[in-house]
Amino acid sequence: MQTDANDPRSVTAAEPATEGASRPVATVRGLHLRLPGGVHALRGVDLEIEAGEIVGLVGESGSGKTMLGLSLLGLAPAGARFEGEAWLAGTEMTAADSEARRLARREHAGAVFQDPMTSLNPTMKIGTQVGEAAASREAVVEALEQVGFPEPERRLGQYPHELSGGLRQRVMIAMAIARRPALVLLDEPTTALDVTLQRTTLKLLRGLRDELGVAMLFITHDLAVAAEIADRVAVLYAGRVAELGVPSAVFRHPSHPYTAGLLASRLALAGGDRDGELATLGGEPPDPRRLPPGCPFEPRCPFSREVCSLGLPALVPSPRHPGLDACVRAAEIAPELEAGAARALALAPPPVSSAPEPAPGVAALELRHVEKTFRSRRHEQRAVSDVSLTVPEGGALALVGESGCGKTTILRIAVALERAGGGAVELGPGGRPQMVFQDAGSSLTPWMTVRQLLDERVRTEGLGAAERSRRIDETLAWVGLSQEVATMRPSRLSGGQRQRVALARAVIVPPALLACDEPTSALDVSLAAVVINLLRRLRRELGVALLFVTHDLAVARAVAEEIAVMSAGRIVERGETDRVLREPQSEETRRLLEAVPSMERTWR
Amino acid sequence: MRILGMLVVLWVLVTIVFLLGSVVPSEPARAYAGAGASPQVIAQKRKELGLDQPLAVRYVDYLGRLAQGDLSESVHTHKPVADDIAEALPATLELLFAAVMITVLIGLGVGVATARPRRGTGLLRGALVAGASVPVFTLGLLALFLFYYKLGWFPSGGQVSPGAATVSGPTGFLIVDSLLRGQPEVFFDVLWHLVLPATALALTPALLTARTLRSSLRFSLRQDYARTARAKGLRERDVLWRHALRNSLNAPLTICGLELGGMLAGIAVVETIFAWPGIGLYIDRSIAAGDVPAIAGVTLVTGIVFVFANAIVDLLQLAVDPRLRRLA
Ligand code: SF4
Repeated sequence: MQTDANDPRSVTAAEPATEGASRPVATVRGLHLRLPGGVHALRGVDLEIEAGEIVGLVGESGSGKTMLGLSLLGLAPAGARFEGEAWLAGTEMTAADSEARRLARREHAGAVFQDPMTSLNPTMKIGTQVGEAAASREAVVEALEQVGFPEPERRLGQYPHELSGGLRQRVMIAMAIARRPALVLLDEPTTALDVTLQRTTLKLLRGLRDELGVAMLFITHDLAVAAEIADRVAVLYAGRVAELGVPSAVFRHPSHPYTAGLLASRLALAGGDRDGELATLGGEPPDPRRLPPGCPFEPRCPFSREVCSLGLPALVPSPRHPGLDACVRAAEIAPELEAGAARALALAPPPVSSAPEPAPGVAALELRHVEKTFRSRRHEQRAVSDVSLTVPEGGALALVGESGCGKTTILRIAVALERAGGGAVELGPGGRPQMVFQDAGSSLTPWMTVRQLLDERVRTEGLGAAERSRRIDETLAWVGLSQEVATMRPSRLSGGQRQRVALARAVIVPPALLACDEPTSALDVSLAAVVINLLRRLRRELGVALLFVTHDLAVARAVAEEIAVMSAGRIVERGETDRVLREPQSEETRRLLEAVPSMERTWR
Repeated sequence: MRILGMLVVLWVLVTIVFLLGSVVPSEPARAYAGAGASPQVIAQKRKELGLDQPLAVRYVDYLGRLAQGDLSESVHTHKPVADDIAEALPATLELLFAAVMITVLIGLGVGVATARPRRGTGLLRGALVAGASVPVFTLGLLALFLFYYKLGWFPSGGQVSPGAATVSGPTGFLIVDSLLRGQPEVFFDVLWHLVLPATALALTPALLTARTLRSSLRFSLRQDYARTARAKGLRERDVLWRHALRNSLNAPLTICGLELGGMLAGIAVVETIFAWPGIGLYIDRSIAAGDVPAIAGVTLVTGIVFVFANAIVDLLQLAVDPRLRRLA
């Protein structure tokens, strides 16, 4: 490519590896995408991906990340209308007919999507599925070997459900690289995986890039993941690039308030304090049908002035790093952002924990020597062995570990969704515990409105209609949902709204114990922070005790003063959260800590 | 487990048939003895038939005879019901098999053709809805009127043309036997006779199956794995046939299994309209004659056919979805 200092798309990675690289494998110019229903999903995106380069695409859900990726592959939803250009290795994907787009995909692209369980065909053998992308059986085996899939020859005849989550994701990756494509789209490829698997997957992807020279467009909502894997990162907001550059520069010296906000709402493994509110971005991304005329971030931006709403800010060289940003006030607010970013990235000394002193002796939940074995006809599987734990009244315990370590089983036993095979489960006074699931959408009855869903729960209290209605309004306000939402059905809500409804339903009749199964892992950083803040308020104001299952140590730290680390069905370490994270005693805890993607470590 | 379940279903069926047979107001002894028989003769007949015994004894007795394949004697043909059924069943099974084939073909063809939005699918879908709601006797009569009376393309009824060479043994299935005995002209004659009744029987289930398959396919084509297949650069046709179809068969198979019940009920109507010499025609006459043993026998046999067919559907579902195999 021609390197032109004034061309905003010509910012290359600082690493010499990609410098002077050949032609770009993908070029997006002034791309607009309008979807049926008046959604303006992309609003003038410029981006270039060099051969062998990994570009990270970050932003909240609804920012257009996925739409940009799908547009490049020519897979935008039916009825999409384009303006501008999206070139994939010589084919302009917005104007080409479907057959030309298909051939371009076949020859030049691969894709890995978030959930390997649903993204693989459940009724087709994995050998056949990879075979559809590879030229020969040998190529299938080779691709599987390249992604570190053990014993590929023997496992070609297996179905996806016979594989673990990590292996399924490897099959997806093998499929994506089997044809040696120029570009692989990776849409949240590690979000459904636990930290250790995430770490191995990221390493694998980098290795594949080095070995095969394949370029990658890596979509993620996790800034630390982007920092770890990407050569360049583009922050997307409301269908536009807000900031673009090398991750170490962009994340250390953000020049767009949105990037700074995302950074600030990240959870850290040290520093901060558990009782106050986490910094959040406040509000949600704008409705893509009713976008403001000026800077799209203006309604949420703490630095907005009149100039901001005059017109769409263009992507121009940043005053703070060699990349680009789209904030008209970038130069003026630079000092403030600098201070904020320093705060967000600082490894402050751990706080003196001032969690509410749990009343001694009273437990909201106590498990003693709990055992659980799952039996199927062919084999037995020990899920939990000899687990004892206590959640004091009003206290919070986080249960962490890799997938399959038994933490969810414990949670299900605690709320009586599962029966313990041995040992004792005792609940404190205050009745049945409530539960919040990871996938809030599927736990909400689809044909009921939010108000009906909540009413169903309050009805058991024997209150009058007026009183019930007042309670519902109160709870909605409490979780930050508008009255408008009350009349909607779950399918019309966003992921964050659904999670809030699930939470509202769990607490409208305050339980003594709230059991949470990864309630934040599918959410954007900013939404995760909102949910965590809600949980904290629940504890503070209503004295609800929490049993919190997660694979994310930072989330565990943000909600619970006590942590129990599980491995292979046993608790291997337990103690005060900050102490355990600071001075891990067990191998498992160290491994988990090691695997957490961290900008600090990436740039050290 | 599955076999045990089938046995339980069959046992329940047998018991219901038995109970129905013993509580129906029509007095079997009177039917056997003939109209105008004296009370003494009827009482004598009751004793002969064991009808004076308590219900429990009669039940055990009934089960015992059933185990030996004895369905007692028909009132109106005066032959063992088992023999009557053995004679009529092959024709019905042929008809049923042909109907199932047509159901599968139309169900699959129309379901797949309408799954993707194309020009004309709206019209086709309208036809589907309309077609699926026409009762089977209307269809039968309409077909007869149009294709026999107006166009003369197909025969009015029966299984073979009068005067065609008759074939007998070894299987009892005319279609199979005619081929085994090297008489293709009979084979084609039977096939020609099959078209109208089988289509009349199959049309409603076929359209229902097509609709179910269509909505399943549309769902599957929106799933993540379909997107993966497209991302691989597969043709839309291959996405549908290779990926979506197999994942969409569960619901249509279930519908097929259920609709088979409807077909079995429709058989009496269709065989009567088309003079098809199967058990539908037999039961029609048995009902007219108040022939309780014959009705009970046919009910039992149809029940068995239904249970077996659904077992086959179950097996097909297992074959289609490897995930179910682990649960089974
Ligand atoms: S342009 Fe204004 S509103 Fe937009 S990010 Fe910059 S300061 Fe905030």
